Amino acid sequence: MSHGFLRVHGRAQEYEVFARKARAEPLRMVGSVVAPDPDLAAAYARATYDEERWIEMAIVPRDQVTTLWAPGEESEG
Amino acid sequence: MSLATLVLSLADNKQLLGLRYAEWAIRAPSLEADIAAAAMGLDDLGHSRVLYGCLEALGEDPRGPNRESDPSSYLCLPYFGRPWTSWSQFVAANAVLDTAFSVMIQACVEGSVDVLRTRLRKMLNEERFHFLHGRSWLRTGIEPGPLEDAWTQAIEWFGPPQGEVERLHREGALAMGPAELLAQLEERLETTAPVGPVDWSGWDEVQRSTRPMVIDDRTFAMLRGLEERRYHPAGT
Repeated sequence: MSHGFLRVHGRAQEYEVFARKARAEPLRMVGSVVAPDPDLAAAYARATYDEERWIEMAIVPRDQVTTLWAPGEESEG
Repeated sequence: MSLATLVLSLADNKQLLGLRYAEWAIRAPSLEADIAAAAMGLDDLGHSRVLYGCLEALGEDPRGPNRESDPSSYLCLPYFGRPWTSWSQFVAANAVLDTAFSVMIQACVEGSVDVLRTRLRKMLNEERFHFLHGRSWLRTGIEPGPLEDAWTQAIEWFGPPQGEVERLHREGALAMGPAELLAQLEERLETTAPVGPVDWSGWDEVQRSTRPMVIDDRTFAMLRGLEERRYHPAGT
C-alpha cells in the first residue's frame, strides 16, 4: 500500500512532452505528464510515450510556455 | 564463482526485480508512477532475458534441472523473495538495488569480455530512466528500514573486498571491483551508504548475501510459469 504518499504530489507540475520520429520531422507535442521535478518528469515521459521509435524526445514545463493566442481567439494573420 | 555465475545472479535478480516492479503497476502513488512501474518491469524482464542469453557465450550455463523444483537455485537477493508491501520498499529497490545492478553492468560493459561489452550496453540507456525515477522518489523521503536493507544487500551483492568480483576486476573482465562499485553507487546517489561494515563470515558466495534467500510459493510458481498455466482451460 502507498500510505503516506500523495497520489498527486503537492509540488507537482505539468510538463508537455515533445517528440519526433525522423530528423526531417518537426518536434510535435505527443502529450503531457505531471511530476514534482524534471528528473521524474523525464522518467514518466519516457515510460508513458515510449510506444513509438522516437529519435528525439523533450519535455517543457507547461508554465514555461508563452501562449500567443488561445483556442477560440484569432491570430492577426 | 565464475563470471557466468555472476551474470546469472544479475539475470535472476533483474527477473525478480522486474516482477516486483510489475506488481506495483496499479498500486503506485500516481498514474504516472503506475506506468513507470510497468515500463521498468518490462525493461528489467527484458534485461534478464538478454543476460540469460549471454551464459552460453560465456562458455558455461550454471543453471541446472533443480531450477524446476528448488527455489534456492535462483540466485536472488532476499529483498526480492516476497512481494513488497510498502512504496518505500519499491523506492529503495528502484534507487539503490537497481542502480547497484546498473553499476555492475557498467563494469561489464567497460570490461574485457566481448559478449558483455556488446550486448549489455543498451541496458545502460534504459536504466538511466530507472535511476532518475528512483532518485527523485528517494528525495521525497522514505522509511529508513527498507533503505538500509537495500543498501546492505547491495553491498553484500558486490561481494567482499578480496572475493571473486575483485579477482574478476584484477583480471580485467570487470572494470570495477567491490570498492569501486560501492563508490560509484554512492556517487550516483549523492550519499554514503547509511549502514555499518558487513560481517562477511556468513556470506554465501553463490547467493551473494549473508542471509538465506526465501522465495514464497507464489513467486516461485510465477518464475516457473505455473501461475499463468493456472488460467489455461483444462486439456489445452
